[in-house]
Amino acid sequence: MSTIAEPAPRSQARRRMRVDGWRWGGRIFLLFMLLYTALPMIWMLLTSIKSGFAAMQFPPQWWPDQPTLASYQKLLDPQNSVGQDFLRFFWNSLFVSTATTILSVIVAVPAAYAFSRFTFPGRNFLFFAVLLRNMFPAVIFLVPLFILMRAIGLVNTHGSLILTYLTFGLPLAIWLLKGFYDNIPIQLEQAARIDGATRFQAFILIVMPLSAPGIIATAIYSFIGAWNEYIYAYTFLSKNDQLTLPVGIQRFFSENTTDFPGLMAASFMMSVPVVVLFLVLQRYFVRALTEGAVKH
Amino acid sequence: MAHVVLKDLVKSYGSFKAVNDVSLKVNDGEFVALVGPSGCGKTTTLNLVAGLIPITSGDIFIGDRVVNDLDPKDRDIAMVFQNYALYPQKSVYMNLAFPLQMRKLPKQEIDKKVREAARVLDMTQLLERKPRELSGGQQQRVALGRALVRDPAVFLMDEPLSNLDAKLRVQMRSEIKRFHQDLKATIIYVTHDQLEAVTMADRMAVMNGGYLQQYDSPAQVFAHPANMFVASFVGSPAMSLIPLEASTANGDTVLTSAEGWTLQLSQLNARKVQRATTKKVVLGARHSTIKLHKSAVPGAIPAKAYTVEPTGDVTFVQAFLSGAIVNVSVPPNIAVAPDEQIWLEFDQERMHLFDGETEMALKAN
Repeated sequence: MSTIAEPAPRSQARRRMRVDGWRWGGRIFLLFMLLYTALPMIWMLLTSIKSGFAAMQFPPQWWPDQPTLASYQKLLDPQNSVGQDFLRFFWNSLFVSTATTILSVIVAVPAAYAFSRFTFPGRNFLFFAVLLRNMFPAVIFLVPLFILMRAIGLVNTHGSLILTYLTFGLPLAIWLLKGFYDNIPIQLEQAARIDGATRFQAFILIVMPLSAPGIIATAIYSFIGAWNEYIYAYTFLSKNDQLTLPVGIQRFFSENTTDFPGLMAASFMMSVPVVVLFLVLQRYFVRALTEGAVKH
Repeated sequence: MAHVVLKDLVKSYGSFKAVNDVSLKVNDGEFVALVGPSGCGKTTTLNLVAGLIPITSGDIFIGDRVVNDLDPKDRDIAMVFQNYALYPQKSVYMNLAFPLQMRKLPKQEIDKKVREAARVLDMTQLLERKPRELSGGQQQRVALGRALVRDPAVFLMDEPLSNLDAKLRVQMRSEIKRFHQDLKATIIYVTHDQLEAVTMADRMAVMNGGYLQQYDSPAQVFAHPANMFVASFVGSPAMSLIPLEASTANGDTVLTSAEGWTLQLSQLNARKVQRATTKKVVLGARHSTIKLHKSAVPGAIPAKAYTVEPTGDVTFVQAFLSGAIVNVSVPPNIAVAPDEQIWLEFDQERMHLFDGETEMALKAN
């Protein structure tokens, strides 16, 4: 009896080992990916608290001997010309990105709702037409859009950037939101309309709150897109007081010396709003808000 | 409460007519079931009454008002949806209060009505919960509560029980019926389950292919189905429908099967067949009107038992006659084995005869 029973545990052990092998392989892969994304950020942070001299040393100081917040102080000091510029760029970026985000939500919400709920002539054509822009690299539109902006007198205004970012961000925003509206049962609106709401009230009171995760996702997407955009901002704006952060940060490069700690501090502060946005809003992504609405 | 009249109601999508010339009247305080297989147009009809989709032609009256072009909110209706459609972000209390808030009732009155509805439906302790924290039966109650809190002219119910488990369904069935009796409410109730229609409704409107097939009390529909569709749809197990050929010889009218056996008809049934414009006649018989014999009897038709299904109260025996399935019920103490030779005797008084071409019931006059 015992001789027959013996092979079983061994093969079980072997199977467990194989599974473990895959699992460890996965972990190592994830670890590699984590380092790949995190190391540059860590290096950015470390460099930003070094002195200008320490940043240039070779072999590098892995951990700064004399950590200093001088770069940050300089950037955030409104008395200092560097600080003045940085704060202005930051404000410009914030303005352009926020305006883009708000407009994009205002346009994408009703558009996505219409694509999801109504049938109208040309619906499919329009729906795929909004994607047409995304089939081409953004740079292709650089010159045509510049000519267009010049013709309508928007060169060197933030309006040119907001309009451009909208045309780039909206198609995906509409697609994203349509998916959310498709998942909200139409019976909820019907119930609201029977309960005494107009179609518009049903949308505002019932559907909008339920699509909050979608709206937030769309907003974050538009914000990040506008916040990080470089090439259009570089082309459309030439006046110093209008530059946005991605373009403005270039000023830390110069012919003879580059202020690496200052550059890295500015880069770090540029990434702060995006990270904060994610941390604050991420819980809305995971929550399934329509749970309990309908029984399947 | 109010009566509802549908007049020549049509809803078409392109060339497809989902609802086809449906006319019927629902009396004040009446419980009418719209029943039929899926795709028969019953839910579309209900949505037309609710105003959720526009009508193509015809008229809808609620009370004495034509509501054809009114918004759902102005029709003074309440609706219970198959999937309940509770507002997931609102508590049960707010779900019940929503229709009243939309009508701008004062806060105290809303509170009074919500608590009254909750008391009637026995869910006072659930008022603060969110829909996702409720069981299926409780969600169903909230949906019902949201409809009755407002005291509308008409209640529309779209398969409200079909998502419940079997036991709860039977329980809620009697609760809705009780609710109708207490409130004297006008209810239009859509279901695909003929048993729900038969057990709950004052009258049932049987629909198929967008057409109204028959509109009568369940007893009448059961006893006198207007056509073969209604005959086979209402009643369980379904009525057996056997295609036969009519002929008259020596003054006697007989139905002949392709299998060779003949069935002599009573005088009344013979008259029905003689008035038909075709020789093709379909014999319809419910399981309880067919007598099963285990030995040859004059007038009984030989057949072979195919399956035997004991249910406890009765045993259902299936056999094939002329290529059609025949259901017979026998008391459980009569043992029938599959493939056993049996003889089936049809009750002339309670058999149904249909025109084999138009599928309509044959009439004696």
